Amino acid sequence: MGLLKEEDRKYLIDEFSKHIKNPVKIIHFTSESNECMYCKETMEILKEVEELHDLITLYIYNFDTDKDMVEKYGIEMFPATVIEGEKDYGIKFYGIPAGYEFSSLIEDIMDVGEGKPDLKEETVNAVKDINKPVHLKIFVTPSCPYCPIAVRTAHKFAMANENIKSDMIEANEFPELSQRYNVYAVPRVVINEDRYFEGALPENQFLNEILEALKEG
Amino acid sequence: MELIFGPSTQKSSKREYDAIIIGAGPAGLTAAIYLARAKLSTLILEKLVPGGLAATTDKIENYPGFPEGIGGEELTSRMEKQAVNFGVDIVLEEVLDVDFLSNPKVIKTSDSEYTGRGIIIATGTSPKSLNVPGEQKFRGKGISYCATCDAPFFQDKEVVVIGCGNSGIQEGIYLKKFAKKITFVEFLPHMTAEKVLQERVRALDNVEFLLNHQVTAFEGEEKLTGVRVKNRETGEEFLIPADGAFVYVGLKPNTDFLKGKIEMDNAGFIKTDEDLKTSIPGVFAAGDVRTTILRQVATAVGDGALAAKLLEEELGG
Ligand SMILES: Cc1cc2nc3c(=O)[nH]c(=O)nc-3n(C[C@H](O)[C@H](O)[C@H](O)COP(=O)(O)OP(=O)(O)OC[C@H]3O[C@@H](n4cnc5c(N)ncnc54)[C@H](O)[C@@H]3O)c2cc1C
Repeated sequence: MGLLKEEDRKYLIDEFSKHIKNPVKIIHFTSESNECMYCKETMEILKEVEELHDLITLYIYNFDTDKDMVEKYGIEMFPATVIEGEKDYGIKFYGIPAGYEFSSLIEDIMDVGEGKPDLKEETVNAVKDINKPVHLKIFVTPSCPYCPIAVRTAHKFAMANENIKSDMIEANEFPELSQRYNVYAVPRVVINEDRYFEGALPENQFLNEILEALKEG
Repeated sequence: MELIFGPSTQKSSKREYDAIIIGAGPAGLTAAIYLARAKLSTLILEKLVPGGLAATTDKIENYPGFPEGIGGEELTSRMEKQAVNFGVDIVLEEVLDVDFLSNPKVIKTSDSEYTGRGIIIATGTSPKSLNVPGEQKFRGKGISYCATCDAPFFQDKEVVVIGCGNSGIQEGIYLKKFAKKITFVEFLPHMTAEKVLQERVRALDNVEFLLNHQVTAFEGEEKLTGVRVKNRETGEEFLIPADGAFVYVGLKPNTDFLKGKIEMDNAGFIKTDEDLKTSIPGVFAAGDVRTTILRQVATAVGDGALAAKLLEEELGG
């Protein structure tokens, strides 16, 4: 035990008790393949997080053998982590949610546990109007202080509208994918394959990028 | 790997404060700690993430009290927790406009409007760009301004670091853990980094120094493949093949939103007197954003404390 420092554990227990009102499922896909850089570490982090509140439950599946679940959640790589509330919102983490991305994981759990994304009302309304499928890929590194802003905004959008799916992708663990998308700086946000931008944009500008992408598409 | 998280940011419904601080870097966070301990209601507005520029550096070795050095993020997240513990509100909104002439003073953000009886500007600086051909085009395609963010993409690659001041050398040393080779380019005939950093960088394998050289262009097709430089003595121009370039050529103040509202020097840094007062009564400036000769965490923290104390006196606290 003990990835989390004792003081941090106490702090999170307290924060979670304030925010989490509904069950939160952490649905995790792991693998025993030795290609997996951080499968063990990722699982350890999630196990510690599960301990922080009664309403959080961790479900662990094997990417190679639990085909049904892999298909149900549309999992493409491992390790993968889905944060689910009353339904699957399309919030995913590919790779380890450590470093700065630990804060994305924590805040996602609080949003899902609270049952609503922490967005401005006007943004929520505008996001709800999107009626075409949007897939957001957010490439990050764990040591990037600005990356959680992009990940969180994308995940909140996914929570607000079921047409939107959004994946954090830890670039170090998926070098081929990062190369395929020419990622040399993070955060890199890819919208439906073709359009991308770099940097942490405020929620309204992020939304504009999505709307522009839909116009082009 | 560390597990990093800040105090969960707040949505403040409060609109009126005794003191409003713009910018949650070391200067703003320190000022907030002092003001909150003086029992003044205190708000910090931050456009990106608390911690400021200091949070983007891998290791800080010259801030007293940490003989082994301390991670920039770890240091600033401790400051942030300390401020929150004393009751400071930290809200993530960018300040877009101010009205310093009304009473109380009005601060307009991306989302809302706040009033404060006193204001401390602690918006720090952003990395300067070089303004040479190719820089915009290859931004994010090889050119980067944040080594801790992007270093892993240059594993076993050749990298150019532009600027041999403290930041350039320090980040270059960090990058060398990833890159195969680093060429440092400096406009001046000498490095300006601290002597201990100079010694350390010179001891590394596979590093080269081009002093008195000027970058003239970034080149490539889809992504960066080289940096063109000119020897300032001989005029000779040549291309350094490179997969990445990290730019550390100085800092520009984050004061665009204050143009015409407060006195600045030619470069846009805020002018203060020795008590950190600006040209407007009740408005102070602290840290890297003001005209000063040293921009470091230690000086930012000192400024923050002093500005807070003097503001407290002004508010009759
Ligand atoms: C690569 C690098 C390495 C460094 N290494 C060291 C070191 O080893 N030791 C050392 O002592 N110092 C170091 N420094 C310098 C140190 O980071 C700065 O001196 C220090 O961060 C200054 O603090 P500050 O609070 O004045 O400004 P900043 O840290 O720049 O903070 C300003 C904050 O204001 C916010 N802001 C700006 N505009 C607005 C707006 N309109 N509305 C709301 N918020 C806004 C910014 O987002 C930022 O968070 C380094 C700097 C760099 C770039």
